[in-house]
Amino acid sequence: MLRVAKSFRDGAGFDTMLVAFALGYLVLFSGFPLVYNLVMSFQSVDLFSLASFDRPFVGLDNYYDVLSRPEAWGIFLNTVKFVGISVAAQLAIGFALALFFQQDFPGSTWLRGLFLAGWIMPALVVGAVWSWILAGDFGVLNHLLMSFGLLEDRVFWLSDPDVALYSVIIANIWLGVPFNMILLSVGLAGIPADIYEAAEMDGANGVQRFFTITLPMMRAQLGAVISLGVIFTLQQFDLFAALTQGGPSNASNVFQYWSWQLSFQHYEIGVGSVISVLMILFVILVAAVYVRSTRHEHVA
Amino acid sequence: MMKKYGLLAVALCLSGIYLFPLYWMYITALKTGTEIFANPPTFWPENPQWAVAEVWTRLKMDVYLRNSLLIASGVTVIVAICGTGCAYVLARIRNRWMDVVLFTVLMMQVLPSSLMITPIFVAFNQVGLNEVPRTAVILAQAAKVLPLYIVLCRATFVQVPRELEEAALVDGNSRIGAFLSIMVPLARNGILVTSVLIFLQSFGEYVYSRSLITQRALQPATVGLQSFMGPNTSDWSGVMTYSAIYVTPVLIIFVLLQRQIVSGLTSGALK
Repeated sequence: MLRVAKSFRDGAGFDTMLVAFALGYLVLFSGFPLVYNLVMSFQSVDLFSLASFDRPFVGLDNYYDVLSRPEAWGIFLNTVKFVGISVAAQLAIGFALALFFQQDFPGSTWLRGLFLAGWIMPALVVGAVWSWILAGDFGVLNHLLMSFGLLEDRVFWLSDPDVALYSVIIANIWLGVPFNMILLSVGLAGIPADIYEAAEMDGANGVQRFFTITLPMMRAQLGAVISLGVIFTLQQFDLFAALTQGGPSNASNVFQYWSWQLSFQHYEIGVGSVISVLMILFVILVAAVYVRSTRHEHVA
Repeated sequence: MMKKYGLLAVALCLSGIYLFPLYWMYITALKTGTEIFANPPTFWPENPQWAVAEVWTRLKMDVYLRNSLLIASGVTVIVAICGTGCAYVLARIRNRWMDVVLFTVLMMQVLPSSLMITPIFVAFNQVGLNEVPRTAVILAQAAKVLPLYIVLCRATFVQVPRELEEAALVDGNSRIGAFLSIMVPLARNGILVTSVLIFLQSFGEYVYSRSLITQRALQPATVGLQSFMGPNTSDWSGVMTYSAIYVTPVLIIFVLLQRQIVSGLTSGALK
Protein backbone atom coordinates (compact mmCIF):
# COMPACT_ATOMS: atom_id res chain seq x y z
CA MET A 1 0.00 0.00 0.00
CA LEU A 2 2.82 2.33 0.96
CA ARG A 3 4.61 1.47 -2.25
CA VAL A 4 1.58 2.39 -4.30
CA ALA A 5 1.30 5.70 -2.49
CA LYS A 6 4.99 6.41 -3.05
CA SER A 7 4.77 5.57 -6.72
CA PHE A 8 1.80 7.86 -6.96
CA ARG A 9 3.74 10.65 -5.25
CA ASP A 10 6.82 10.66 -7.37
CA GLY A 11 6.77 7.96 -9.95
CA ALA A 12 5.04 6.32 -12.79
CA GLY A 13 1.90 5.68 -10.77
CA PHE A 14 0.72 9.24 -11.12
CA ASP A 15 1.25 9.30 -14.87
CA THR A 16 -0.35 5.91 -15.31
CA MET A 17 -3.41 7.00 -13.39
CA LEU A 18 -3.89 10.17 -15.45
CA VAL A 19 -3.59 8.27 -18.70
CA ALA A 20 -5.71 5.36 -17.50
CA PHE A 21 -8.50 7.73 -16.55
CA ALA A 22 -8.84 9.22 -20.03
CA LEU A 23 -8.13 5.97 -21.81
CA GLY A 24 -10.67 4.15 -19.66
CA TYR A 25 -13.31 6.66 -20.65
CA LEU A 26 -12.47 6.27 -24.33
CA VAL A 27 -12.47 2.48 -24.15
CA LEU A 28 -15.83 2.47 -22.39
CA PHE A 29 -17.61 4.93 -24.68
CA SER A 30 -15.77 4.54 -28.00
CA GLY A 31 -13.86 1.27 -27.95
CA PHE A 32 -16.68 -0.83 -26.58
CA PRO A 33 -19.32 0.48 -29.03
CA LEU A 34 -16.82 -0.16 -31.82
CA VAL A 35 -16.55 -3.84 -30.88
CA TYR A 36 -20.25 -4.08 -30.13
CA ASN A 37 -20.97 -2.77 -33.60
CA LEU A 38 -18.95 -5.59 -35.10
CA VAL A 39 -20.84 -8.13 -33.00
CA MET A 40 -24.21 -6.70 -33.99
CA SER A 41 -23.35 -6.86 -37.66
CA PHE A 42 -23.42 -10.66 -37.31
CA GLN A 43 -26.65 -10.70 -35.33
CA SER A 44 -30.28 -10.32 -36.20
CA VAL A 45 -31.23 -7.13 -34.39
CA ASP A 46 -34.56 -5.39 -34.77
CA LEU A 47 -36.98 -3.39 -32.71
CA PHE A 48 -38.07 -6.42 -30.68
CA SER A 49 -34.68 -7.80 -29.77
CA LEU A 50 -33.26 -4.33 -29.16
CA ALA A 51 -33.33 -4.49 -25.38
CA SER A 52 -32.50 -8.16 -24.93
CA PHE A 53 -29.02 -9.65 -24.80
CA ASP A 54 -30.10 -12.89 -26.43
CA ARG A 55 -29.99 -12.38 -30.15
CA PRO A 56 -29.47 -15.05 -32.79
CA PHE A 57 -26.21 -15.00 -34.73
CA VAL A 58 -26.82 -15.05 -38.46
CA GLY A 59 -23.27 -15.17 -39.77
CA LEU A 60 -22.76 -13.07 -42.86
CA ASP A 61 -26.47 -12.82 -43.70
CA ASN A 62 -26.62 -9.11 -42.90
CA TYR A 63 -23.65 -8.47 -45.16
CA TYR A 64 -25.20 -10.36 -48.09
CA ASP A 65 -28.53 -8.71 -47.43
CA VAL A 66 -27.38 -5.11 -47.48
CA LEU A 67 -24.78 -5.38 -50.21
CA SER A 68 -27.16 -7.10 -52.61
CA ARG A 69 -29.82 -4.42 -52.29
CA PRO A 70 -30.42 -2.59 -55.56
CA GLU A 71 -29.70 0.84 -54.05
CA ALA A 72 -26.38 -0.19 -52.47
CA TRP A 73 -24.28 0.32 -55.60
CA GLY A 74 -25.66 3.80 -56.32
CA ILE A 75 -25.12 4.89 -52.73
CA PHE A 76 -21.58 3.55 -52.85
CA LEU A 77 -20.87 5.57 -55.99
CA ASN A 78 -22.40 8.64 -54.34
CA THR A 79 -20.11 8.22 -51.36
CA VAL A 80 -17.07 8.00 -53.62
CA LYS A 81 -18.19 11.07 -55.59
CA PHE A 82 -19.01 13.00 -52.43
CA VAL A 83 -15.60 12.36 -50.91
CA GLY A 84 -13.61 12.68 -54.13
CA ILE A 85 -15.11 15.94 -55.38
CA SER A 86 -15.31 17.52 -51.92
CA VAL A 87 -11.71 16.77 -51.02
CA ALA A 88 -10.33 17.79 -54.41
CA ALA A 89 -12.23 21.09 -54.47
CA GLN A 90 -11.51 21.92 -50.82
CA LEU A 91 -7.85 21.28 -51.45
CA ALA A 92 -7.67 23.32 -54.66
CA ILE A 93 -9.62 26.30 -53.28
CA GLY A 94 -7.93 26.08 -49.89
CA PHE A 95 -4.49 25.98 -51.47
CA ALA A 96 -5.23 28.92 -53.76
CA LEU A 97 -6.51 30.99 -50.84
CA ALA A 98 -3.56 30.00 -48.66
CA LEU A 99 -1.15 31.12 -51.41
CA PHE A 100 -3.05 34.36 -51.81
CA PHE A 101 -3.13 35.20 -48.11
CA GLN A 102 0.58 34.42 -47.92
CA GLN A 103 1.16 37.74 -49.76
CA ASP A 104 2.16 40.67 -47.64
CA PHE A 105 -0.69 43.15 -47.21
CA PRO A 106 -2.41 44.83 -44.28
CA GLY A 107 -4.94 42.70 -42.43
CA SER A 108 -3.99 39.46 -44.20
CA THR A 109 -3.85 37.31 -41.06
CA TRP A 110 -7.04 38.72 -39.68
CA LEU A 111 -9.01 38.32 -42.89
CA ARG A 112 -7.70 34.80 -43.30
CA GLY A 113 -8.85 33.95 -39.80
CA LEU A 114 -12.30 35.29 -40.63
CA PHE A 115 -12.79 32.39 -43.02
CA LEU A 116 -12.89 30.01 -40.07
CA ALA A 117 -16.25 31.55 -39.14
CA GLY A 118 -17.83 29.06 -41.54
CA TRP A 119 -15.98 26.17 -39.99
CA ILE A 120 -16.99 27.04 -36.42
CA MET A 121 -20.73 27.17 -37.14
CA PRO A 122 -22.92 24.16 -36.36
CA ALA A 123 -23.05 22.14 -39.60
CA LEU A 124 -26.81 21.80 -39.29
CA VAL A 125 -27.21 25.58 -39.36
CA VAL A 126 -24.87 25.76 -42.34
CA GLY A 127 -27.16 23.24 -44.01
CA ALA A 128 -30.23 25.34 -43.19
CA VAL A 129 -28.67 28.48 -44.62
CA TRP A 130 -27.55 26.68 -47.77
CA SER A 131 -30.96 25.10 -48.29
CA TRP A 132 -32.40 28.62 -48.41
CA ILE A 133 -29.69 29.80 -50.80
CA LEU A 134 -30.22 26.75 -53.01
CA ALA A 135 -34.02 26.85 -52.91
CA GLY A 136 -35.43 26.34 -56.40
CA ASP A 137 -38.06 29.08 -56.57
CA PHE A 138 -36.75 31.86 -54.40
CA GLY A 139 -33.14 30.83 -53.89
CA VAL A 140 -30.57 33.55 -54.35
CA LEU A 141 -28.11 31.27 -56.17
CA ASN A 142 -30.51 30.67 -59.04
CA HIS A 143 -31.17 34.40 -59.23
CA LEU A 144 -27.47 35.30 -59.30
CA LEU A 145 -26.58 32.66 -61.87
CA MET A 146 -29.46 33.71 -64.11
CA SER A 147 -28.74 37.41 -63.87
CA PHE A 148 -25.11 36.76 -64.83
CA GLY A 149 -26.41 34.75 -67.77
CA LEU A 150 -24.77 31.55 -66.56
CA LEU A 151 -28.08 29.75 -66.31
CA GLU A 152 -31.04 29.59 -68.65
CA ASP A 153 -33.62 28.21 -66.31
CA ARG A 154 -34.06 27.60 -62.61
CA VAL A 155 -32.29 24.58 -61.20
CA PHE A 156 -34.10 22.72 -58.47
CA TRP A 157 -30.92 22.05 -56.55
CA LEU A 158 -32.35 19.95 -53.77
CA SER A 159 -35.16 18.03 -55.47
CA ASP A 160 -33.66 17.25 -58.89
CA PRO A 161 -32.12 13.76 -58.65
CA ASP A 162 -29.34 14.76 -61.05
CA VAL A 163 -28.03 17.65 -58.99
CA ALA A 164 -29.10 16.91 -55.38
CA LEU A 165 -25.79 15.25 -54.52
CA TYR A 166 -23.82 18.16 -55.98
CA SER A 167 -25.79 20.61 -53.84
CA VAL A 168 -24.65 18.83 -50.71
CA ILE A 169 -21.12 18.76 -52.13
CA ILE A 170 -21.21 22.54 -52.68
CA ALA A 171 -22.21 23.14 -49.06
CA ASN A 172 -19.60 20.68 -47.84
CA ILE A 173 -16.85 22.38 -49.85
CA TRP A 174 -17.84 25.71 -48.31
CA LEU A 175 -17.64 24.13 -44.87
CA GLY A 176 -14.25 22.50 -45.43
CA VAL A 177 -12.29 25.18 -47.29
CA PRO A 178 -11.22 27.21 -44.22
CA PHE A 179 -9.68 24.25 -42.42
CA ASN A 180 -7.71 23.27 -45.52
CA MET A 181 -6.56 26.83 -46.01
CA ILE A 182 -5.36 27.28 -42.44
CA LEU A 183 -3.42 24.01 -42.37
CA LEU A 184 -1.83 24.73 -45.76
CA SER A 185 -0.94 28.26 -44.64
CA VAL A 186 1.07 26.77 -41.81
CA GLY A 187 3.00 24.68 -44.31
CA LEU A 188 3.62 27.64 -46.60
CA ALA A 189 4.87 29.75 -43.70
CA GLY A 190 7.37 27.01 -42.91
CA ILE A 191 9.16 27.23 -46.27
CA PRO A 192 12.29 29.37 -45.81
CA ALA A 193 12.13 32.59 -47.82
CA ASP A 194 15.75 32.42 -48.98
CA ILE A 195 14.98 29.38 -51.13
CA TYR A 196 12.56 31.51 -53.11
CA GLU A 197 15.06 34.35 -53.31
CA ALA A 198 17.75 32.02 -54.62
CA ALA A 199 15.37 30.65 -57.24
CA GLU A 200 14.39 34.15 -58.28
CA MET A 201 18.06 35.06 -58.76
CA ASP A 202 18.42 32.01 -60.97
CA GLY A 203 15.61 33.41 -63.08
CA ALA A 204 12.77 31.05 -62.13
CA ASN A 205 9.36 32.59 -62.67
CA GLY A 206 6.37 32.28 -60.37
CA VAL A 207 4.96 29.15 -61.96
CA GLN A 208 8.35 27.42 -61.94
CA ARG A 209 8.90 28.35 -58.33
CA PHE A 210 5.50 26.90 -57.42
CA PHE A 211 6.23 23.56 -59.09
CA THR A 212 9.87 23.22 -58.09
CA ILE A 213 9.79 24.62 -54.57
CA THR A 214 6.30 25.02 -53.12
CA LEU A 215 4.78 21.71 -54.18
CA PRO A 216 7.73 19.47 -53.23
CA MET A 217 8.22 21.25 -49.90
CA MET A 218 4.52 20.89 -49.12
CA ARG A 219 4.33 17.17 -49.81
CA ALA A 220 3.94 16.04 -46.20
CA GLN A 221 1.47 18.84 -45.47
CA LEU A 222 -0.63 18.01 -48.52
CA GLY A 223 -0.74 14.36 -47.54
CA ALA A 224 -1.96 15.28 -44.06
CA VAL A 225 -4.59 17.69 -45.37
CA ILE A 226 -5.90 15.17 -47.89
CA SER A 227 -6.25 12.36 -45.37
CA LEU A 228 -7.88 14.69 -42.82
CA GLY A 229 -10.21 15.87 -45.59
CA VAL A 230 -11.23 12.31 -46.41
CA ILE A 231 -11.84 11.57 -42.73
CA PHE A 232 -13.92 14.70 -42.12
CA THR A 233 -15.90 14.27 -45.32
CA LEU A 234 -16.79 10.71 -44.40
CA GLN A 235 -18.05 12.04 -41.07
CA GLN A 236 -20.39 14.54 -42.68
CA PHE A 237 -23.94 13.81 -41.62
CA ASP A 238 -25.56 17.08 -40.59
CA LEU A 239 -25.56 18.58 -44.09
CA PHE A 240 -27.46 15.58 -45.46
CA ALA A 241 -29.96 15.85 -42.63
CA ALA A 242 -30.50 19.55 -43.31
CA LEU A 243 -30.39 19.59 -47.11
CA THR A 244 -31.74 16.49 -48.86
CA GLN A 245 -32.12 13.69 -46.32
CA GLY A 246 -30.53 11.43 -48.89
CA GLY A 247 -33.31 12.02 -51.36
CA PRO A 248 -34.89 12.20 -53.82
CA SER A 249 -35.06 8.38 -53.77
CA ASN A 250 -31.47 7.93 -52.58
CA ALA A 251 -30.08 10.16 -55.35
CA SER A 252 -27.96 12.02 -52.81
CA ASN A 253 -27.59 9.31 -50.22
CA VAL A 254 -24.19 8.25 -48.89
CA PHE A 255 -23.14 5.36 -46.68
CA GLN A 256 -22.83 7.29 -43.43
CA TYR A 257 -26.37 8.64 -43.79
CA TRP A 258 -27.81 5.38 -45.10
CA SER A 259 -26.45 3.47 -42.12
CA TRP A 260 -28.26 5.84 -39.78
CA GLN A 261 -31.47 5.62 -41.83
CA LEU A 262 -31.41 1.82 -41.74
CA SER A 263 -30.96 1.77 -37.98
CA PHE A 264 -33.12 4.65 -36.87
CA GLN A 265 -35.81 4.98 -39.52
CA HIS A 266 -36.26 1.38 -40.63
CA TYR A 267 -35.03 -0.21 -37.38
CA GLU A 268 -32.93 -2.71 -39.33
CA ILE A 269 -30.20 -2.33 -36.77
CA GLY A 270 -28.15 -5.36 -37.72
CA VAL A 271 -28.01 -4.20 -41.33
CA GLY A 272 -27.18 -0.64 -40.29
CA SER A 273 -24.28 -2.02 -38.26
CA VAL A 274 -22.87 -3.70 -41.35
CA ILE A 275 -22.52 -0.35 -43.13
CA SER A 276 -21.03 1.17 -39.98
CA VAL A 277 -18.45 -1.58 -39.71
CA LEU A 278 -17.39 -1.25 -43.35
CA MET A 279 -17.14 2.53 -43.17
CA ILE A 280 -15.33 2.61 -39.85
CA LEU A 281 -12.79 0.09 -41.11
CA PHE A 282 -12.12 2.35 -44.07
CA VAL A 283 -11.84 5.49 -41.92
CA ILE A 284 -9.42 3.79 -39.56
CA LEU A 285 -7.32 2.65 -42.51
CA VAL A 286 -7.02 6.21 -43.83
CA ALA A 287 -6.30 7.51 -40.33
CA ALA A 288 -3.57 4.93 -39.78
CA VAL A 289 -1.83 6.04 -42.98
CA TYR A 290 -2.17 9.66 -41.87
CA VAL A 291 -0.85 9.10 -38.35
CA ARG A 292 2.06 7.06 -39.64
CA SER A 293 3.02 9.69 -42.17
CA THR A 294 2.91 12.59 -39.72
CA ARG A 295 4.85 10.61 -37.13
CA HIS A 296 7.46 9.83 -39.73
CA GLU A 297 7.83 13.51 -40.47
CA HIS A 298 8.09 14.21 -36.75
CA VAL A 299 11.07 11.93 -36.28
CA ALA A 300 12.87 13.12 -39.38
CA MET B 1 2.22 50.50 -51.73
CA MET B 2 -0.48 50.46 -54.39
CA LYS B 3 0.04 46.75 -54.79
CA LYS B 4 -0.61 46.15 -51.09
CA TYR B 5 -3.94 47.92 -51.20
CA GLY B 6 -4.84 46.15 -54.41
CA LEU B 7 -4.25 42.85 -52.66
CA LEU B 8 -6.27 44.03 -49.70
CA ALA B 9 -9.16 44.85 -52.01
CA VAL B 10 -9.02 41.38 -53.57
CA ALA B 11 -8.84 39.84 -50.10
CA LEU B 12 -11.92 41.78 -49.02
CA CYS B 13 -13.76 40.56 -52.12
CA LEU B 14 -12.80 36.94 -51.46
CA SER B 15 -13.88 37.16 -47.82
CA GLY B 16 -17.09 38.81 -48.92
CA ILE B 17 -17.88 36.00 -51.36
CA TYR B 18 -17.03 33.37 -48.79
CA LEU B 19 -19.06 34.97 -46.02
CA PHE B 20 -22.06 35.68 -48.28
CA PRO B 21 -24.13 32.81 -46.79
CA LEU B 22 -23.77 34.40 -43.35
CA TYR B 23 -24.83 37.77 -44.75
CA TRP B 24 -27.79 36.15 -46.49
CA MET B 25 -28.86 34.50 -43.24
CA TYR B 26 -28.89 37.81 -41.35
CA ILE B 27 -30.55 39.72 -44.19
CA THR B 28 -33.29 37.11 -44.56
CA ALA B 29 -33.84 37.19 -40.82
CA LEU B 30 -34.49 40.92 -41.11
CA LYS B 31 -36.91 40.71 -44.02
CA THR B 32 -40.66 40.60 -43.80
CA GLY B 33 -42.64 37.55 -44.90
CA THR B 34 -43.59 39.00 -48.29
CA GLU B 35 -40.21 40.51 -49.06
CA ILE B 36 -38.56 37.12 -48.70
CA PHE B 37 -40.38 35.82 -51.75
CA ALA B 38 -39.84 38.94 -53.80
CA ASN B 39 -38.57 38.42 -57.32
CA PRO B 40 -35.88 39.57 -57.92
CA PRO B 41 -34.66 39.11 -54.32
CA THR B 42 -33.60 42.26 -52.51
CA PHE B 43 -30.07 42.46 -51.19
CA TRP B 44 -30.96 45.02 -48.59
CA PRO B 45 -34.19 44.75 -46.57
CA GLU B 46 -36.67 47.48 -47.49
CA ASN B 47 -38.28 47.70 -44.10
CA PRO B 48 -36.14 45.67 -41.73
CA GLN B 49 -37.92 43.97 -38.88
CA TRP B 50 -36.51 42.33 -35.84
CA ALA B 51 -38.61 39.22 -35.39
CA VAL B 52 -36.30 37.95 -32.65
CA ALA B 53 -38.78 38.09 -29.79
CA GLU B 54 -41.58 36.59 -31.84
CA VAL B 55 -39.48 33.68 -33.18
CA TRP B 56 -37.94 33.15 -29.75
CA THR B 57 -41.30 32.52 -28.10
CA ARG B 58 -43.09 30.87 -31.03
CA LEU B 59 -40.37 28.27 -31.53
CA LYS B 60 -39.66 27.82 -27.83
CA MET B 61 -36.03 28.64 -28.35
CA ASP B 62 -35.41 29.12 -24.65
CA VAL B 63 -36.00 25.39 -24.07
CA TYR B 64 -33.83 24.30 -26.99
CA LEU B 65 -30.98 26.65 -26.22
CA ARG B 66 -31.01 25.73 -22.54
CA ASN B 67 -30.64 22.07 -23.52
CA SER B 68 -27.82 22.93 -25.92
CA LEU B 69 -26.04 24.87 -23.19
CA LEU B 70 -26.54 22.05 -20.72
CA ILE B 71 -25.18 19.43 -23.10
CA ALA B 72 -22.24 21.54 -24.22
CA SER B 73 -21.31 22.44 -20.63
CA GLY B 74 -21.55 18.85 -19.47
CA VAL B 75 -19.36 17.65 -22.31
CA THR B 76 -16.78 20.38 -21.68
CA VAL B 77 -16.54 19.59 -17.96
CA ILE B 78 -16.12 15.85 -18.52
CA VAL B 79 -13.58 16.36 -21.28
CA ALA B 80 -11.52 18.90 -19.32
CA ILE B 81 -11.41 16.66 -16.24
CA CYS B 82 -10.54 13.47 -18.11
CA GLY B 83 -8.34 14.96 -20.79
CA THR B 84 -6.05 17.53 -19.16
CA GLY B 85 -4.00 15.03 -17.16
CA CYS B 86 -3.71 12.67 -20.09
CA ALA B 87 -2.57 15.48 -22.39
CA TYR B 88 0.08 16.47 -19.84
CA VAL B 89 1.47 12.95 -19.51
CA LEU B 90 1.52 12.47 -23.27
CA ALA B 91 3.46 15.72 -23.62
CA ARG B 92 6.02 14.78 -20.94
CA ILE B 93 6.78 11.13 -21.43
CA ARG B 94 7.85 9.46 -24.63
CA ASN B 95 8.22 5.72 -24.60
CA ARG B 96 6.73 2.76 -26.38
CA TRP B 97 3.66 2.69 -24.14
CA MET B 98 2.90 6.37 -24.60
CA ASP B 99 3.26 5.93 -28.35
CA VAL B 100 0.59 3.25 -28.18
CA VAL B 101 -1.65 5.52 -26.10
CA LEU B 102 -1.19 8.44 -28.48
CA PHE B 103 -1.92 6.23 -31.47
CA THR B 104 -5.08 4.92 -29.79
CA VAL B 105 -6.24 8.43 -28.97
CA LEU B 106 -5.68 9.59 -32.55
CA MET B 107 -7.58 6.59 -33.85
CA MET B 108 -10.52 7.30 -31.55
CA GLN B 109 -10.65 10.81 -32.96
CA VAL B 110 -11.68 9.66 -36.41
CA LEU B 111 -14.73 7.55 -35.54
CA PRO B 112 -17.75 9.18 -37.22
CA SER B 113 -20.66 9.88 -34.86
CA SER B 114 -23.23 8.82 -37.42
CA LEU B 115 -21.69 5.35 -37.53
CA MET B 116 -21.03 5.00 -33.79
CA ILE B 117 -24.57 5.94 -32.85
CA THR B 118 -26.13 2.55 -33.62
CA PRO B 119 -24.07 0.53 -31.12
CA ILE B 120 -24.18 3.38 -28.60
CA PHE B 121 -27.95 3.52 -28.86
CA VAL B 122 -28.38 -0.22 -28.38
CA ALA B 123 -25.84 -0.44 -25.54
CA PHE B 124 -27.28 2.59 -23.74
CA ASN B 125 -30.73 1.14 -24.18
CA GLN B 126 -29.66 -2.10 -22.51
CA VAL B 127 -28.17 -0.41 -19.45
CA GLY B 128 -31.05 2.05 -19.14
CA LEU B 129 -29.10 5.19 -20.03
CA ASN B 130 -31.70 6.16 -22.60
CA GLU B 131 -33.98 6.99 -19.69
CA VAL B 132 -31.79 10.05 -19.09
CA PRO B 133 -31.25 11.06 -22.72
CA ARG B 134 -29.38 14.31 -22.15
CA THR B 135 -26.86 12.57 -19.93
CA ALA B 136 -26.54 9.87 -22.56
CA VAL B 137 -25.76 12.48 -25.23
CA ILE B 138 -23.23 14.16 -22.93
CA LEU B 139 -21.43 10.86 -22.28
CA ALA B 140 -21.35 9.91 -25.95
CA GLN B 141 -20.33 13.34 -27.23
CA ALA B 142 -17.59 13.61 -24.58
CA ALA B 143 -16.07 10.41 -25.93
CA LYS B 144 -16.27 11.86 -29.43
CA VAL B 145 -14.40 15.09 -28.65
CA LEU B 146 -12.07 13.90 -25.87
CA PRO B 147 -9.34 12.84 -28.34
CA LEU B 148 -9.37 16.25 -30.04
CA TYR B 149 -9.04 17.93 -26.63
CA ILE B 150 -6.13 15.69 -25.68
CA VAL B 151 -4.31 16.32 -28.96
CA LEU B 152 -4.71 20.11 -28.80
CA CYS B 153 -3.92 20.35 -25.08
CA ARG B 154 -0.89 18.16 -25.51
CA ALA B 155 0.52 20.73 -27.92
CA THR B 156 0.13 23.38 -25.20
CA PHE B 157 1.85 21.30 -22.51
CA VAL B 158 4.75 20.58 -24.87
CA GLN B 159 5.49 24.31 -24.90
CA VAL B 160 5.74 24.62 -21.09
CA PRO B 161 9.40 24.33 -20.07
CA ARG B 162 10.19 21.13 -18.22
CA GLU B 163 12.59 22.86 -15.82
CA LEU B 164 9.79 24.73 -14.04
CA GLU B 165 8.16 21.48 -13.02
CA GLU B 166 11.46 19.89 -12.01
CA ALA B 167 12.28 22.89 -9.83
CA ALA B 168 8.93 22.51 -8.07
CA LEU B 169 9.62 18.83 -7.43
CA VAL B 170 13.06 19.63 -6.00
CA ASP B 171 11.38 22.14 -3.69
CA GLY B 172 9.40 19.28 -2.22
CA ASN B 173 6.17 19.46 -4.16
CA SER B 174 4.37 16.21 -4.83
CA ARG B 175 3.70 15.26 -8.43
CA ILE B 176 0.06 16.14 -8.13
CA GLY B 177 0.97 19.41 -6.41
CA ALA B 178 3.42 20.36 -9.14
CA PHE B 179 0.89 19.41 -11.82
CA LEU B 180 -1.93 21.44 -10.33
CA SER B 181 0.02 24.47 -9.09
CA ILE B 182 2.66 24.82 -11.83
CA MET B 183 1.73 22.99 -15.02
CA VAL B 184 -1.99 23.67 -15.24
CA PRO B 185 -1.68 27.42 -14.53
CA LEU B 186 1.10 27.74 -17.11
CA ALA B 187 -0.93 25.92 -19.74
CA ARG B 188 -4.07 27.82 -18.73
CA ASN B 189 -4.58 29.70 -21.99
CA GLY B 190 -4.30 26.63 -24.14
CA ILE B 191 -6.63 24.68 -21.88
CA LEU B 192 -9.19 27.49 -21.97
CA VAL B 193 -9.15 27.95 -25.73
CA THR B 194 -9.39 24.21 -26.33
CA SER B 195 -12.28 23.99 -23.88
CA VAL B 196 -14.08 26.79 -25.71
CA LEU B 197 -13.54 24.94 -28.99
CA ILE B 198 -14.95 21.74 -27.48
CA PHE B 199 -17.86 23.72 -26.07
CA LEU B 200 -18.66 25.24 -29.47
CA GLN B 201 -18.42 21.84 -31.19
CA SER B 202 -20.82 20.32 -28.68
CA PHE B 203 -23.13 23.33 -28.84
CA GLY B 204 -23.81 22.34 -32.46
CA GLU B 205 -23.96 18.58 -31.87
CA TYR B 206 -26.71 16.89 -33.84
CA VAL B 207 -26.49 13.15 -34.57
CA TYR B 208 -26.44 11.86 -31.01
CA SER B 209 -29.14 14.25 -29.82
CA ARG B 210 -31.40 13.46 -32.75
CA SER B 211 -31.08 9.72 -32.17
CA LEU B 212 -31.07 9.51 -28.38
CA ILE B 213 -33.48 12.27 -27.33
CA THR B 214 -37.10 11.72 -28.27
CA GLN B 215 -38.79 14.16 -25.91
CA ARG B 216 -39.12 17.59 -27.43
CA ALA B 217 -38.54 19.35 -24.12
CA LEU B 218 -35.09 17.79 -23.80
CA GLN B 219 -33.83 18.36 -27.35
CA PRO B 220 -31.06 20.86 -28.19
CA ALA B 221 -31.27 23.71 -30.69
CA THR B 222 -29.94 21.71 -33.66
CA VAL B 223 -32.70 19.12 -33.42
CA GLY B 224 -35.23 21.88 -32.80
CA LEU B 225 -34.16 23.65 -35.98
CA GLN B 226 -34.28 20.47 -38.05
CA SER B 227 -37.70 19.40 -36.81
CA PHE B 228 -39.06 22.82 -37.60
CA MET B 229 -37.57 23.09 -41.09
CA GLY B 230 -39.43 20.14 -42.61
CA PRO B 231 -39.44 19.31 -46.31
CA ASN B 232 -41.94 21.96 -47.43
CA THR B 233 -40.96 24.88 -45.29
CA SER B 234 -42.21 28.27 -46.33
CA ASP B 235 -41.30 30.08 -43.13
CA TRP B 236 -37.76 30.90 -44.23
CA SER B 237 -37.75 34.10 -42.25
CA GLY B 238 -38.39 32.05 -39.12
CA VAL B 239 -35.70 29.49 -39.99
CA MET B 240 -33.11 32.18 -40.69
CA THR B 241 -34.02 34.17 -37.58
CA TYR B 242 -33.71 31.00 -35.51
CA SER B 243 -30.32 30.29 -37.13
CA ALA B 244 -29.14 33.83 -36.56
CA ILE B 245 -30.11 33.82 -32.87
CA TYR B 246 -28.43 30.45 -32.49
CA VAL B 247 -25.10 31.22 -34.15
CA THR B 248 -24.57 34.86 -33.24
CA PRO B 249 -23.09 34.04 -29.79
CA VAL B 250 -20.91 31.38 -31.44
CA LEU B 251 -19.64 33.91 -33.98
CA ILE B 252 -18.99 36.54 -31.28
CA ILE B 253 -16.93 34.09 -29.21
CA PHE B 254 -15.10 33.10 -32.36
CA VAL B 255 -14.21 36.64 -33.39
CA LEU B 256 -12.98 37.42 -29.87
CA LEU B 257 -10.79 34.32 -29.70
CA GLN B 258 -9.96 34.09 -33.40
CA ARG B 259 -6.20 34.39 -33.02
CA GLN B 260 -5.96 31.82 -30.23
CA ILE B 261 -8.29 29.34 -31.94
CA VAL B 262 -6.32 29.49 -35.18
CA SER B 263 -2.97 29.00 -33.47
CA GLY B 264 -4.37 26.25 -31.24
CA LEU B 265 -5.71 24.38 -34.25
CA THR B 266 -2.56 24.68 -36.27
CA SER B 267 -0.25 23.61 -33.47
CA GLY B 268 -2.29 20.55 -32.61
CA ALA B 269 -3.78 19.23 -35.79
CA LEU B 270 -0.55 18.45 -37.58
CA LYS B 271 1.51 16.90 -34.79
